[in-house]
Amino acid sequence: MSAPQVSGSRVGGVRHRHENSSLLIPGLVVLGLGFLIPLALLLPDSLKPDDFGFGAYTRLFSESIYLRIVGNTARLGLIAAITCLIFGYPLALWISRLGPRAKILALVAVILPFWVSILVRTYSWIVILGQEGMLNKSLMKLGVIGEPISFLYRELGVMIGTINILAPFFILPMVATMSSIDQRLTDAALSLGASRTQAFWRVYFPLTVPSLISSFFLIFILTLGFYVTPAILGGGRVPMLATLLEYLVSVAVDWPLAAALSFFLLLATLVLFLLAALLAKVSRINRWREKNG
Amino acid sequence: MASKDPNRGSLPFQVLLGSWSLLGLFLLLAPALVVIPMSFSAGDSIGFPPQGFSLRWYSKLFSDPLWLEALRTSVILALASSTIALIVGSLAAYSLVRGSYVGRRVIQASFMGPMIIPPVVIAVAAYLVYAKIGLLGRMEGLILAHSTLALPFIVMIMGNAVNSFDVTIEQAAKSLGANKLTVLRRVVAPALTPHLLVSWLFAFAVSFDEVVMTFFIAGRYTTIPKKMFITLRNEIDPTVTAVSTLLIAVTLVIGVVAVFALQRRLLTVVGAENPS
Repeated sequence: MSAPQVSGSRVGGVRHRHENSSLLIPGLVVLGLGFLIPLALLLPDSLKPDDFGFGAYTRLFSESIYLRIVGNTARLGLIAAITCLIFGYPLALWISRLGPRAKILALVAVILPFWVSILVRTYSWIVILGQEGMLNKSLMKLGVIGEPISFLYRELGVMIGTINILAPFFILPMVATMSSIDQRLTDAALSLGASRTQAFWRVYFPLTVPSLISSFFLIFILTLGFYVTPAILGGGRVPMLATLLEYLVSVAVDWPLAAALSFFLLLATLVLFLLAALLAKVSRINRWREKNG
Repeated sequence: MASKDPNRGSLPFQVLLGSWSLLGLFLLLAPALVVIPMSFSAGDSIGFPPQGFSLRWYSKLFSDPLWLEALRTSVILALASSTIALIVGSLAAYSLVRGSYVGRRVIQASFMGPMIIPPVVIAVAAYLVYAKIGLLGRMEGLILAHSTLALPFIVMIMGNAVNSFDVTIEQAAKSLGANKLTVLRRVVAPALTPHLLVSWLFAFAVSFDEVVMTFFIAGRYTTIPKKMFITLRNEIDPTVTAVSTLLIAVTLVIGVVAVFALQRRLLTVVGAENPS
């Protein structure tokens, strides 16, 4: 996710201390009421005294059912990120080296799904993966399997749908990075006697690592809070953080615990974003050190 | 020809990478489009390939008062929230670009928040607050929530637009005696009309597509995505394929309009550069 390219213009004119600040007020009111204040109130809500001050957090981190769901969600996030890496890295590499026209076509194919509702794409996976779905019917017709495999309402189906929907978030930044890498660097390595494998792993790949780290983390973070697709394709049988939140709010009506879990997810998201930025920076500095001895 | 480029690797590797990538592109794209042929099926189930051709799911959709009510709510909600978000978001974007005050960068970053924080966290936070102040299941609450979610997109698009708009034009208008609001209304807004239109379409699409927040706080109100979500969780109803196809068509129209709007901007820029 790229930061907006908004920056103050310094062209001409004397600048006043509070210039144009009043125009900000309506936007801040909406943002405050709809976003900032509700998020800020999560903390006091989660500390509502039920037994002790930290009751909800004690329950969250001592009852094994909640810990298991947190661990399970993190594991699925890792699987999603690794799969995106295995599928997305070669794909991004391929797209970044296409000719201009083919590249636009390929990019449209990656971006187009963004414009189709997540609900529609999730529904497609029911059509494809169902007991009587396209995949099972084709496999049975080909004689690969004797009876239908159940993909849906278990982890496998949830992961297929989740990865399919999140993959563009990995591929697009990677294509952007790879397209900006100077081809002459690998040319130079090859002309200096490096093999293709060496030129790739020693020259090309390190240049993509900072972007790879941030994209990898992005997929992990997005999976942690992903709700719609796991809720539909999991059919209530694949517990994840977001579906647990729904359960706590509307079925168990345990608001302090829901607030605590939301606050935990909020904090985890922010910390992971910071960590990703930090790691990407460190890998850039390391490269600079290597380059400059 | 591929083998002449030293960067491309050996031919077998090229073939492997190419077929892996084409498979990947197919897997990305196919699920977005598979529902279209299904929606014209004459059969009762969602088997593929679809049996025969009919518009029965479309006629079922348009004769179902619940879907029509959801459509009405979706359109009203999207119109109201995108318009509010457009007005407050554009003013905020202008202020963030042209203004100078303490905490500008922090405020700018927090406007991106609704795009970065997981929707389910924002939804639970809003639910807990709305429950206390009686906004659950109220249209006002929904409009506020949807406006908030659209803000990042508006602030981003309009921020870029204002940033690339020549500040000396505004200064010229001011030196000719226009006050700040007149400059905004008569100079900046007309010049950035295509960006305003694109932002508004984006905000409309965000609201029209929103499901998580709506599912948590809408109460008795039902939007198209909420009804789809609930239907998909409970049963397999082919009517959803018709809804999906119509949604794809609406998005396509919005995309085409956005492209045309931006092209017009290009023409305007070219015209403006012409010193005639």
